[in-house]
Amino acid sequence: MSNENMTAPNPETEAENDDDAVSPTPGSGAVDAGDLETATASSRTVIESRDLDVYYGETQALDDVSIRIPEKQVTAMIGPSGCGKSTFLRCINRMNDLIDAARIEGDLLFQDKNVYDDDVDPVALRRRIGMVFQQPNPFPKSIYDNVAYGLRLQNKTENLDEKVEQALKGAALWDEVKDQLDESGLDLSGGQQQRLCIARAIAVDPEVILMDEPASALDPVATSQIEDLIDELAEDYTVVIVTHNMQQAARISDKTAVFLTGGELVEFDDTQKIFENPEHQRVEDYITGKFG
Amino acid sequence: MATERSTRDGSWYGDGEGVNQLRGQLFKWGCLGAMLFGIVMVFVLLAYVAIDAIRPLTADPGWHLTFFLTLVAPTSALLGYYGLRDRRSGLVGAIATALPAFCLLVGAGISLLLVDVFRPIEWFGTAVALVVAVGVVYVHRRLRTEPAAFERPIVTVGALVLAVVGVPGVVPSLSQLFRNAPIALNPATMLLYSFAVPVAILTGLAIARRRESRRDGLIAAALTVVGGVLAVIAAPAVGIDDYLLIVLSLSIAAPTAVYVEGVVRERDHLVGLALPIVAYVGTFLGAALVEAYGFAGPEAWLDWQFLTSAHSRFPQEAGIYPALVGSIMMMLVIVVSAFPVGVAAAVYLEEYAPDSGTVGRVVGLIEMNIANLAGVPSVVYGLLGLALFIRYADMNTGSVIVGGLTVGLLILPIVIISSQEAIRAVPNSMRQASYGMGATKWQTVRNVVLPESIPGILTGTILAFGRAIGETAPLLMIGAAAVVFSPPGSFAEKFSAMPRQIFAWSHEPSAEFRYGVLAAGVVTLLVVLLSMNAAAILIRNRYQRRS
Repeated sequence: MSNENMTAPNPETEAENDDDAVSPTPGSGAVDAGDLETATASSRTVIESRDLDVYYGETQALDDVSIRIPEKQVTAMIGPSGCGKSTFLRCINRMNDLIDAARIEGDLLFQDKNVYDDDVDPVALRRRIGMVFQQPNPFPKSIYDNVAYGLRLQNKTENLDEKVEQALKGAALWDEVKDQLDESGLDLSGGQQQRLCIARAIAVDPEVILMDEPASALDPVATSQIEDLIDELAEDYTVVIVTHNMQQAARISDKTAVFLTGGELVEFDDTQKIFENPEHQRVEDYITGKFG
Repeated sequence: MATERSTRDGSWYGDGEGVNQLRGQLFKWGCLGAMLFGIVMVFVLLAYVAIDAIRPLTADPGWHLTFFLTLVAPTSALLGYYGLRDRRSGLVGAIATALPAFCLLVGAGISLLLVDVFRPIEWFGTAVALVVAVGVVYVHRRLRTEPAAFERPIVTVGALVLAVVGVPGVVPSLSQLFRNAPIALNPATMLLYSFAVPVAILTGLAIARRRESRRDGLIAAALTVVGGVLAVIAAPAVGIDDYLLIVLSLSIAAPTAVYVEGVVRERDHLVGLALPIVAYVGTFLGAALVEAYGFAGPEAWLDWQFLTSAHSRFPQEAGIYPALVGSIMMMLVIVVSAFPVGVAAAVYLEEYAPDSGTVGRVVGLIEMNIANLAGVPSVVYGLLGLALFIRYADMNTGSVIVGGLTVGLLILPIVIISSQEAIRAVPNSMRQASYGMGATKWQTVRNVVLPESIPGILTGTILAFGRAIGETAPLLMIGAAAVVFSPPGSFAEKFSAMPRQIFAWSHEPSAEFRYGVLAAGVVTLLVVLLSMNAAAILIRNRYQRRS
């Protein structure tokens, strides 16, 4: 990671941030008219990126992305393939660190701390930011062990049974699997597996849950179950979801970010506004299906 | 126009020159021929050696007829039925028939070790020491629920080392203390505690898990112990030492019983169980009839006497026993040395080594050269072993440990490469899931990568061990004995291994040695090798079905 760039941030954004840090937005009527993102935010910002660039080798995957993701809401990222929305998601919990060729410039703040600072341990970060992947990927262990995995990693093994039950209930899976906790997680159906992965993620009680197209490998019934679940999760967690499916974004999210080709964040606003009255012609074209 | 013409000359349905499949057909038949050639050559080789080793033509015609009627005809009929009607039952039958034979080989291997390497008192002492060590570790985990960093591994490793090895010359190990303690237990009692009880626990666990009933598990465990006691009672009648009969009978009976119980309970292709019944009853019936009518069997070179005696000047009295024990002891050294080093190297290369940058290029170079090392002739490894272990490290010429380490070096590249393949086969999504949960690299490797890849690692490694057991050239280079008359008493003593002994027989002037005894040795070696490969296949199938 090139931290040189982070030590010299853009003075403008720096000033803007200081402003926000002392007077967080919730409920405050005073709003900078030019700043749409803060104008519509009704709760505290939990994740914020400033001029975030990501390169894979020579290819630029994200171009100057600045965004503020509010707490305990569902934020959807939509856009055509290769537009960088998954890349952005993976920047948040530093999963891109696992790719040797990835290089990140700019700032990404989680609770006002740059996650790419030298003193941030990505392992500790990922314990607070859970992730659910596109393909359901339970471990080839029992259902119980799958859910207990994160707790055991952190040695939080008191009341393990209770916590596993809570997580499975939270993922709306408990009633279906309570009699087969010892059976392999791989024996479940695709939709159940994905809910198991969600249970696994929420068992450690993270603050944010990142979802990378969680329903794209599932049938319509399982998809709708996952969508209902996301709705419930947003009561307790901040959910950031990447999706290909515009209807899905419209159904479940409070805020929507539209990425278009070249890793550019074109528009970020309340979901309703994005879908009914977008600022940019390109966003409208994408949403109405004229391209992408 | 074009359609008109093609309709008229019939080319649209492939009648004309447009579609030519001749080359494809020739290629297919060529491939078939190559495959048949390979299979036939292997079969001819095996038949040639087996005929020399067993000499079936020296038997009475009556002997052949009896066994044909009692064994060959009924099993062939049954196999024909399975093949035509019920293949799944055939598979069940094959497993139920092969399992006891395979377990007999394993049990015989353990028995060899008990007779010559670990005497029962040592085995018992080690078992007790292990139990104590495990108990210490368990109590420690219970008492210290929040251990300091490295506390648990240190306690675990320390307890095991103190229990089994001790600190040489300073602190004697627990098992040594136990061995020297004045305890008057006879070997049978010791083996009942240290072999029958562990087997009973394993059996009980298997049954309890399958039936989901503690009671059934306890019953199965109790039956296993009763079986051990019965073996002691029956020993004088059978004519085998009582402690060896415990090992042999339990290592055959327990796995077979667990398998058969599963088939019977689930009514899963019950017909398959007819095969082992017909085969084993046929064998014993045939043996009884041959005895009753006085038909002479074949004067086989490969017989009980061959397996249990040492080399002799007279071919009729020559045997392979010391070399067999030597081979097994050498395998132990190879397993202990090559397996951990190879797996660790593979884990580093696959999980930790960077892919890019200068270090990445060096790692790539190393990986390429590991593949090259796998192709270096074995005689070169022999030279390396000679220089490294005997000249430099000053170990005994031709000792078990030098042989094992040298051949271990030889198969190390194969172990590394096959372990790398197995680790690479673990889906990346598993690693991602683990990292996404906030696992460290070490936690991911330990909890996800290794458990997932261990079946593949074992399969590849066992195949490599199969190659190791047949290596001859390195043994010649490090000076393994051509002929030994008693098995090595420790790992530092001079030994001979099966391939070395076979090589020595090939130089004997007498034709009986060069054809008969040698063939018997080759068949013994092949049986050991094939059963190792069978074990590898079993492990692979078992885990493939699960995932």
